Amino acid sequence: MKILIVDDFSTMRRIIKNLLRDLGFNNTEEADDGLTALPILQAGGIDFLVTDWNMPGMQGIDLLKTVRADETLSKLPVLMVTAETKREQIIEAAQAGVNGYIVKPFTAATLKDKIDKIFERIETQA
Amino acid sequence: MDSTNKAVQLEAAHALIDALESDDENEIKHHLGILTQSQENELFDEVGKMTRELHDSLSNFSLDHRLIDLTNNDIPNTRDRLNYVISTTEDAAHKTLGFIEKTLPLASDLKQTAEKIDESWHRFRMKEMGVEEFRTLSDEIASYLPDVKKHSDDIHANLSEMMLAQGFQDLTGQVIRQVINMVEEVEDNLIRLVKLSGQYQVAKTDKKVVDSIKAEGPQINAENNPNVVNNQDEVDDLLSSLGF
Repeated sequence: MKILIVDDFSTMRRIIKNLLRDLGFNNTEEADDGLTALPILQAGGIDFLVTDWNMPGMQGIDLLKTVRADETLSKLPVLMVTAETKREQIIEAAQAGVNGYIVKPFTAATLKDKIDKIFERIETQA
Repeated sequence: MDSTNKAVQLEAAHALIDALESDDENEIKHHLGILTQSQENELFDEVGKMTRELHDSLSNFSLDHRLIDLTNNDIPNTRDRLNYVISTTEDAAHKTLGFIEKTLPLASDLKQTAEKIDESWHRFRMKEMGVEEFRTLSDEIASYLPDVKKHSDDIHANLSEMMLAQGFQDLTGQVIRQVINMVEEVEDNLIRLVKLSGQYQVAKTDKKVVDSIKAEGPQINAENNPNVVNNQDEVDDLLSSLGF
């Protein structure tokens, strides 16, 4: 299981990377916005995407829409971890096909819970 | 200087020279008066022009919605944002310090007991220990090992909390970026104001286009805004209401 972590703040990428390692996910890659994330995703091999919303270059919501519109990536599970808390934004992300939405600041338990739920749902659909 | 004014001044100057040469005091006064008068007219014209420009600039300034908007909303909002940065960094520092204070005694406790057991164990290996003393050592080791596990778990949990507390850097960083953008906008508007005081400039009345999903970073005063969720539970409720 290879996970791509996309956030413009290196501290947050490091936090998520460490939390994922605690949960048993040792194989992670990092990108600092949607534009740098896309080539990594398109190169293949990423099984799970964790992305922030508010980033310079390409924002997380646009990255999500691009992923869903890309034939080879459209099924990729996407978890959004963001400080964006407006109802319209959460609805927009849901409509764009996000698999989970976590608001910052968050806890390790929330991250585990959302990731577990995403995989449970994928397994029941499969 | 316009050509009519120039002709009048030239004629008066020639007549003044004639009057000076013929030493005609009345004529000298008369033509000097004409010359001074035309100079004053020009000054009045200039003052009038400047007054009009100043008036235009001022009305122009009062029509600049963005500058008014910045003063009324963005600057007070910036005060809230900077206060948010102070309280968020303060909370994170206290949280981290709190977990350090919880962790240090755990590490000390492990070290002290290990030292004590190590010393006894050494005496046991040197065959310097009686049966009764060995029984005590055995009890100590038996109670120490579960403590090691428990303390290690607690230390791991505390370190994870300390790590999570560092998320403040992302949250405050986003807010500080917004403040920098606001300061740049105020600077641009002040530069325009300086230009306006020198020359006429058409006011830009560009109002910001409202984009309801535009990224805004952490919400300040979220409790007072019904359009904003306050925690993960509210996010989950909203998503489940959408069938998630």
